[in-house]
Amino acid sequence: MIEFDHVTRTYGPKTAVSDLTLAIPRGELFALLGPNGAGKTTTIRMLVGLLHPSRGAVRVCGHDLVKDPRAAHLHMGYVPDEPCLYDKLTGREFLWFIADMFGMPRRLATSRIDREIEHFELGEFADDLAESYSLGMKQRLVFAASLLHDPDVLVLDEPMVGLDPRSVRIVKDLLSARTREGMTVFMSTHTLAMAEEMADRVGIMVRGQLRFLGTIAELREQMSLESTTLEHLYLEVTSSRSRES
Amino acid sequence: MTTRSVTPDAVRLLSFEDESRLFMRLRATLAWETVRSMLTDARLRLTLVVVLSGLFWAALYGLFLEGFSFLDALHAEVISLLFNAFFSSLMVMLVFSTGILVYSGMYCSTEARLLLTLPVRAETIHAHKFREAMWFSSWGFVLLGSPMLTAYGVVRHAEWPYFVLLLPFMISFVIIPASVGSICCMALVAWMTRLRMHALTIGVTIAAVAAIWLGWTMFSQTNVDAMSAAWFERTFARLAVTEQKLFPSWWLSSGLIEAARTDRGGGIAGQALFESLTFLALLVANALALQLLAGWLARVAYRKGFSQLSGEMPSRRQRRLRWFDQALGHAGFATGRPLRLLLVKDLRLFRRDISQWSQFVIFFGLLGLYFVNLRAFNYNNSYASMIGYLNLAVVGLILSTFTTRFVYPMISLEGRRFWILGLLPVHRDQIVWSKFLFSFVGGLLPCCLLVLLSDSMLGLPWRLIAQHEVCCLMLCMGLSGIAVGLGARMPDLRESSPSKISSGFGGTLSLVISSLFIMSVVVVAAVPTHLFLISNTMGSGVVAPNGILAWAGGPWGATAGVILVVILGLTATFVPLVLGLRAFRRLEV
Repeated sequence: MIEFDHVTRTYGPKTAVSDLTLAIPRGELFALLGPNGAGKTTTIRMLVGLLHPSRGAVRVCGHDLVKDPRAAHLHMGYVPDEPCLYDKLTGREFLWFIADMFGMPRRLATSRIDREIEHFELGEFADDLAESYSLGMKQRLVFAASLLHDPDVLVLDEPMVGLDPRSVRIVKDLLSARTREGMTVFMSTHTLAMAEEMADRVGIMVRGQLRFLGTIAELREQMSLESTTLEHLYLEVTSSRSRES
Repeated sequence: MTTRSVTPDAVRLLSFEDESRLFMRLRATLAWETVRSMLTDARLRLTLVVVLSGLFWAALYGLFLEGFSFLDALHAEVISLLFNAFFSSLMVMLVFSTGILVYSGMYCSTEARLLLTLPVRAETIHAHKFREAMWFSSWGFVLLGSPMLTAYGVVRHAEWPYFVLLLPFMISFVIIPASVGSICCMALVAWMTRLRMHALTIGVTIAAVAAIWLGWTMFSQTNVDAMSAAWFERTFARLAVTEQKLFPSWWLSSGLIEAARTDRGGGIAGQALFESLTFLALLVANALALQLLAGWLARVAYRKGFSQLSGEMPSRRQRRLRWFDQALGHAGFATGRPLRLLLVKDLRLFRRDISQWSQFVIFFGLLGLYFVNLRAFNYNNSYASMIGYLNLAVVGLILSTFTTRFVYPMISLEGRRFWILGLLPVHRDQIVWSKFLFSFVGGLLPCCLLVLLSDSMLGLPWRLIAQHEVCCLMLCMGLSGIAVGLGARMPDLRESSPSKISSGFGGTLSLVISSLFIMSVVVVAAVPTHLFLISNTMGSGVVAPNGILAWAGGPWGATAGVILVVILGLTATFVPLVLGLRAFRRLEV
């Protein structure tokens, strides 16, 4: 579903992502981890088509994000780290705008909008202007919008920022259910506990390179640490890179 | 487990027409919600905007009606030159303003980041942001151009087709320079990403040099009296440079002049109307062709340009004025250090915010250019004095827009960072005083210099110059006091956008009070001087043989005027400041 094919991205003389090759199959929840400046945001931005790779290609459901971005976007939902809404639209109007953008038939759009409003408990404020929303409310609305069209691929950039514990639980349950149904999730996060709890595989990026790719069990095996937390393993991987440099 | 289909039936890619309709609906909803929230939350602002715009339109209409009547009687052939000069300058301004607005809308906004991750065509996003940019850059043309062109039609006794064709002419004309600006912007970002600022600087410099050259050649070495027939002849001969047949400005002015023509009996002139429609067709065809070109360019270059711009390394920190910041921070006694450090912080933020200082430079620069050209006119004494006071009012009004737009929101924005300032050993009063000093000192020097320049060019006596400088000092103090005081009295701690803070109720109130204060100062200072000059030139008994007017026009009248100005200035400074300080001390964040 998601393919990074020898992807490199440079910012002037600096290489943000170096020769990234990664394939994520259908129904997998993949968590991309790494310290600040590791290249996670650049990777996410290339995946959603905001940045073009300097070399290589990124594909979603077989569609190249540079050559055919619209076809790729049709299969995707995206929750950015900073929610972007129209201040002068109500939550419901924003959901309708997104549904129309994906060309959803009227009746289906109505039922999906009602479904997501119920899932994310938006009913109380769905008809208020977005300018009156708190960060958590905005984030819930963006989640609802990204899932309206039942995307094949959901891209999440720091998804839990601003969400209260109940909303976090709702999101986790939804992600588990949707991945069981076949949706692929690509998530960048600093919340290691969430990655440990939910991810099928994790990737750890350090200075633009994928230092580790696999399950947490494989990571434990590789680090020769039998019973320890992901936080411990993560710190081991990222600090070993520091020692090398 | 994997039951989902890769190509879901529930979604589809929209056609171009569907996308356009969707965005049209979006714009209509956003516009309606904006108007609705203004009607409920910002009635004062909306009323002021409508009333002032109406007054401005009516005043301009009256002015143009007089002007065209005068020109029609004496110099009818110069209308075409005048239109060409006006429309060609406007064309250049529209290219730059739309280009800059398209840049911020398409490459720097969060909305663009959202839209680029949705299955929508790049050309649709461009069309959406282009319309927004064109509206923002051309409303001034509508406000200025509509009274001018209506007045022209009335003076020429034009028939109804002229008035019907006005709007299509204006819209099709505006699209041309706006499209050129948008095309240049997209091309610069996509293919000259790193050199875009250099290219823009070169373009602006060329336009500025051309404007200065045009102004200089028009008004320099003119030793004849202003508004005389000889002056008109020389001035319009120099304006002929703007009359280029390949410019859309020529098509527009020719089309409008033809549309206003009537036959001998005062009816519609068929041949002239046909000519006019030909010019309109030329404008429409070019506007459509440029829109097609812009759409094609958006398709091939927008996503690429956005990516390249996002991939730019941040610019290196400017350290050239660090010595000045350090000197200011460490000068004086230790007790005043926190206040000076707050000043240094505000100064750094101002220097690094291009939107603030660039507007400051552009407005005061244009005003300076106008003042320099005042020398070209020969005025008699009372006329020069009146222009001097009007110039003082203009300097004050421009300063008031800056204090309202940039100084008024400063306290609100500081309130959001209270978790930083609240933990520092800084008294709240010092925060308010630092904003006042920043605004007062920052505005004083350019304003006093501009007033000095204006008065010197007008050849005013030193006593009048000194009086104007005192007025200017009081204006700077008062306007800073009003903006900072009201900003502290009515802070908006939830809002992070300074433009939204300044456009709220408090910002509007600050602008209204500032305008009233400026008018009061100028009237109080100008009336005694004007009466004194009239008495001097026409005899002391002309104004009034005795009573208050005679006293006001006498030698003590001007002194009393200055004293009143000082009282007004101190009141406008300290009353809002004291109110603001009290409120800010009690503020709970």
